[in-house]
Amino acid sequence: MRRTILRSLVGTAAFCLMIIGMGLFSPAALAVPAFARKTGLACSSCHEVWPRLNDFGQLFRDRGYRLERDRDAPVEQDGSYWPIALRTTVGYQWMRNTLVPTDTGTTDTTTGTFGFTGLDLFAAGNLGDRLSFLVVFTPGLAQSGFQLAPSNLDSDLESAFVGIHDIGTSWVTLRVGKHAPDLPVDEHRTLTLTQGYNVYHFHPQGSHVTWEPGSNQNGIELYGHSDLSRVRYSFSLVNENDAEFVSSTFLANPVVWGHVQATQYLDNPLLAAVKLGAFGSVGWHASSALTAPTASGGGPIAGTGTNHKNHYRYGGEAHLYFLSTVNPLTLSAVVWGGTDDQALVDGAISDATFIGGFLEGVWTITPRVSLLGRYELIHPSGGADPAAGPVAGDVNTWTVTLRHTFELTSRTEAAVHLEFSRFNQDAGDGTSPSSYAALIGLDFSL
Amino acid sequence: MNRWTPILLAALLPWTLALAQTPQRGGAPAEKPPNPPRPPDEARAARGKAVYERYCLSCHGEHGDGRGYSAQWLDPRPRDFTRAIFKCRSTPSGTLPVDDDLMRSLREGLYHTNMPSWEVLGDRSLRDVIEYFKTFSPRWKEEGPGDPIPFVPEPADDAASRKKGQQVWNSQACFNCHGQTGKGDGPSVSTLFDDWAFHITPFDFTSSPRRKCGSTDKDLYRTFLTGMNGTPMPSFADTVSADEAWHLVHFLKTLQVKNTKQHLFGFSVGN
Repeated sequence: MRRTILRSLVGTAAFCLMIIGMGLFSPAALAVPAFARKTGLACSSCHEVWPRLNDFGQLFRDRGYRLERDRDAPVEQDGSYWPIALRTTVGYQWMRNTLVPTDTGTTDTTTGTFGFTGLDLFAAGNLGDRLSFLVVFTPGLAQSGFQLAPSNLDSDLESAFVGIHDIGTSWVTLRVGKHAPDLPVDEHRTLTLTQGYNVYHFHPQGSHVTWEPGSNQNGIELYGHSDLSRVRYSFSLVNENDAEFVSSTFLANPVVWGHVQATQYLDNPLLAAVKLGAFGSVGWHASSALTAPTASGGGPIAGTGTNHKNHYRYGGEAHLYFLSTVNPLTLSAVVWGGTDDQALVDGAISDATFIGGFLEGVWTITPRVSLLGRYELIHPSGGADPAAGPVAGDVNTWTVTLRHTFELTSRTEAAVHLEFSRFNQDAGDGTSPSSYAALIGLDFSL
Repeated sequence: MNRWTPILLAALLPWTLALAQTPQRGGAPAEKPPNPPRPPDEARAARGKAVYERYCLSCHGEHGDGRGYSAQWLDPRPRDFTRAIFKCRSTPSGTLPVDDDLMRSLREGLYHTNMPSWEVLGDRSLRDVIEYFKTFSPRWKEEGPGDPIPFVPEPADDAASRKKGQQVWNSQACFNCHGQTGKGDGPSVSTLFDDWAFHITPFDFTSSPRRKCGSTDKDLYRTFLTGMNGTPMPSFADTVSADEAWHLVHFLKTLQVKNTKQHLFGFSVGN
């Protein structure tokens, strides 16, 4: 009986993970036409294909949204310029889920809805010569998410930071506030709309660690770059988002994330450039805390978390740019591992670890047309005791996307977006539920 | 011919050669046959088209005529490649630039305009797009580029040189456009238009040490002697000697802002 309940719970958890992983994936995707209005440049100058950054766009971002030609400061701008932009995707999404747990066993479900992926409101630009800012507001909208699951009605500041640039040198810049940790492939600028990079958000089953490098974090980032951003580094010191036990230390559940990346251009008609990088994090997570009296709810009391244990994420990346750096065929390989201390995992008999990563190919045929294919695998091991119940196993996903940007100016962007994806996870009980999603959408930003 | 004629000719020959090689006042060697045209390399131009369409088209236009969809909001307007007239050159006024001139503009961008530095694209892409620029104008098939002007050694930047430079400033009436203090507010400002009939504002030397055609002393020297084609800024190669051009450079530096450091939270940082 107990095993049946556990199976049901694991099945439900896996289903929820699929829903989160697929239907509701709508990161605040950054493509800011306000920058194009400010600079006069077309979106294709910074975006290999909108919203994916090319090296010119990466340099513009690293410099704090500046072209550094004495026209960046707010006082240099035309009075009609206002640094506001928005983005959403409207369209139709079809989904099929297999082995969905019900009170009478499992079933397969199929549904399709019209809807939109939520709304991102951006304000971004410069406060002064060397001060940049970004605020991304994601309003809670009852009918977003293609109506496939209860909508999250919470509005949120997805991002809010001030950047202080070139403190003596381009190698020293600070960002203060809620920011995106520097990742091997930026999830906020990925082409896909039904599925992100699951490994950026993965936690071993039963882990209390809530640190997800793929989510924006409150903290401070120190980063720097060479003149052309061919060599870059980033270190972020952040609080772990949504940690259950809030530490009693000067910084609650701190995490340090680091990423270095180097690019070499090759004067070669086949292989135009190579980019390599390495990344990792170490975090300190409180494993116990005082709790409130049962009569008043019994939850952990913020500021009493102690007995910190470590969790780690680490890996490497390689990106090969074929044909040209202008309209490249890019192959990316990212290997990503993680370890959560045994004390941070419910019922664990050892440290919980996982190894995974993804292979991704993006062929930018023209600045307007792009194809993407991605395969992702995550293999967990250790951690929870299999004797106590099923332990979820491998995650397998793939995504294919075709995107045609039919409006691409210094004022607006609009694209037809076609996507098909699959998410599958071994439930650990001999079943392997999957979720499929197809999206036909009109993605626009202005 | 008497017997003294060969001796006389032999004596005059070195002088004749020397005169032939003597630069004009600050300008190029005289009477040299024009350089042959360097029409666009088709293979590079084909690759350069992709670079142009991604990065350049929105301002410079599909046909290279400077009428991209962003052009209407830009001041100064983007370059019109169909006439192959370029502001920033090392070659004499009216001639085509050499490729290195175009590379310099692409690598460094043009300060105080919307033209950014494209150095991040890499030399291969920049060389390719230069060849594509050349497809917009027949001039590249008909004319060769000019010869870069010679650089004479820079005299010492001292009080005497700066005083001489001020005399050049006055004698050439630079203040008519740039104003008595170099702020770009001379009495002629309202009458200045470029070759496309767009109003153009003279450079304000007091605002920034960074100038459109380069920020070094050498860049400023070059601009005096080549002019900025397509704008009212003429070449002074025929009226100013090379030394006088250097003196003028030294004088203009006295007009510029002295402190180029930017401030952060009230503190000077960086350069």
